[in-house]
Amino acid sequence: MDRADGVTSRRQAPRNRLQAPGPELRPTAPTTGTVACPRCKRRFVAERYAADLNVCSECGHHGVVGAAQRIAQLADPNTAETLLFEVGDRDPLGFDDGVPYPQRVARARERTGLHEAFLTARATLAGNPVMLACMDFAFLGGSLGSGAGEIFARACEMAVEERRALVAVCTSGGARMQEGIASLAQMARCSAAVAEVIAARLPYISILGDPCFGGVTASFAVQADVIIAEPGARIGFAGGRVIEQATHDKLPEGFQTAEFLLAHGMVDTVVERSRLRDTVGTLIRIYSGRA
Amino acid sequence: MSSTIETTERERIAFAAVELARHPERPRALQVISAITGGWTELRGDRLFGDDRAVVGGPARLGGRSVMVIGQEKGTDPMTRALHNFGMPHPEGYRKAVRLMRQAEKFSMPVVCLVDTPAAHAGIGAEERGQAWAIADALLCMLGLRTPTVSVVLSEGGSGGALALALGDRVLALENAVYTVAPPETCAAILYRDAGQRARAAAALRPGVETAQRIGLVDELIPEPAPGAHAHASLVIAAIRGAVIRNLDELCAIPIDELVAQRQRRYREAGE
Repeated sequence: MDRADGVTSRRQAPRNRLQAPGPELRPTAPTTGTVACPRCKRRFVAERYAADLNVCSECGHHGVVGAAQRIAQLADPNTAETLLFEVGDRDPLGFDDGVPYPQRVARARERTGLHEAFLTARATLAGNPVMLACMDFAFLGGSLGSGAGEIFARACEMAVEERRALVAVCTSGGARMQEGIASLAQMARCSAAVAEVIAARLPYISILGDPCFGGVTASFAVQADVIIAEPGARIGFAGGRVIEQATHDKLPEGFQTAEFLLAHGMVDTVVERSRLRDTVGTLIRIYSGRA
Repeated sequence: MSSTIETTERERIAFAAVELARHPERPRALQVISAITGGWTELRGDRLFGDDRAVVGGPARLGGRSVMVIGQEKGTDPMTRALHNFGMPHPEGYRKAVRLMRQAEKFSMPVVCLVDTPAAHAGIGAEERGQAWAIADALLCMLGLRTPTVSVVLSEGGSGGALALALGDRVLALENAVYTVAPPETCAAILYRDAGQRARAAAALRPGVETAQRIGLVDELIPEPAPGAHAHASLVIAAIRGAVIRNLDELCAIPIDELVAQRQRRYREAGE
């Protein structure tokens, strides 16, 4: 809603605070025992798989990465300060599909150690000051609810205030249906926040992981200066299964993969995870006019 | 817990509201445009790939000023419904809308968007040509457009496909319209893995436009005489005309820098 005084409380009270590594940085993937590559089923010692950034050294499959791991993978060592924005819990519809929505959120928090589907940090990346905003698919499918939307918007505003480049890692099933129309509004809200980053002429790099769909793709994920996709990531608006059911068309080979979108001119580049930090760092350095 | 097949009274009422909003005789965009504007000249094509008939648009005169009118058209009979793809735009529709909005900005013409879509089209071609990209671009365009904008939700505002034309300085909605994150069928498929439970989804989603008004996506409801706009098309169209002109009068009095700042602040807070 319009506010007569043009001033919003979010800018005044420093509602974010820094936190020492704690529950928020708990990795989502196991760190002991063994893990299997979801594609080729080859088993790895968990530590080795994590050291390979959850990429299978056998078949090159890029596995799911949690938000905290993402931050650790992208930020220069010991530079990431996780930001905990205090965002209120919303249940605009009083939603209950057998499990009340607030209870689903509570369970997701317990399971992931995250407060919401977005985790943000200020850091340096290859020496560049950046604001990292990473989504976590393990948190209710990375869905975009009002909490997640608010965190992303605050991260954008902080990037503008501190003149940092914005780097977002997007992986999401789309809107958070349990919040109904309030979830749809997050597309507008996050776009408005991106508009501030654009107006401030700060570089915005978006990294699309597997999967990335719906209202996330149709808003901030593709409003970046550079859109990078990870190999094999499935990215789109409507999911392949929905399209098949609605149209009875046979989906083309590799439909909606990163490589498919690259061929169709929708992403700038497909970059392997091990090269992400270098690629993003180089781009930001060039856009910032530094050698 | 209730069985999954049983439909409760509450669910029947909720879905009846969705069906009312989908009534085939409710006023459609082209009907509204021809009734409330003069000299509307349809401009077609996105100048990139093709022309999407689910989105129509062009310059016109309305209430003593030149405006750009863009609408999502569902069609009125089987043939026109197929022609307009049931109001479900492809990326070209959003790109055409953005092209026309930029043109309106150039000539300092206010933009009027008539929103009426169950959702953006889900299909292979739409994905290949960047449906998400087209919507995301339209959102940014509407947020930053340096000319006044009014959106009117006529009947169905579904998903990002509706939102892309609904980030106006003022958003009006017909009283019996619905505005949802996705059509109830899609929500049911996602939430309950069964599109058949659309009535249950409709009850849970509170699809009425008053919900959208409460969270800040809609400003003003345009009343419909009972039983609804389908029975009183000319009255309702006259009410739309009056409400759009009144809002344009107010918006055109606000300096453009202030208007754009207000708009961005408003959508930054929507759904908080």
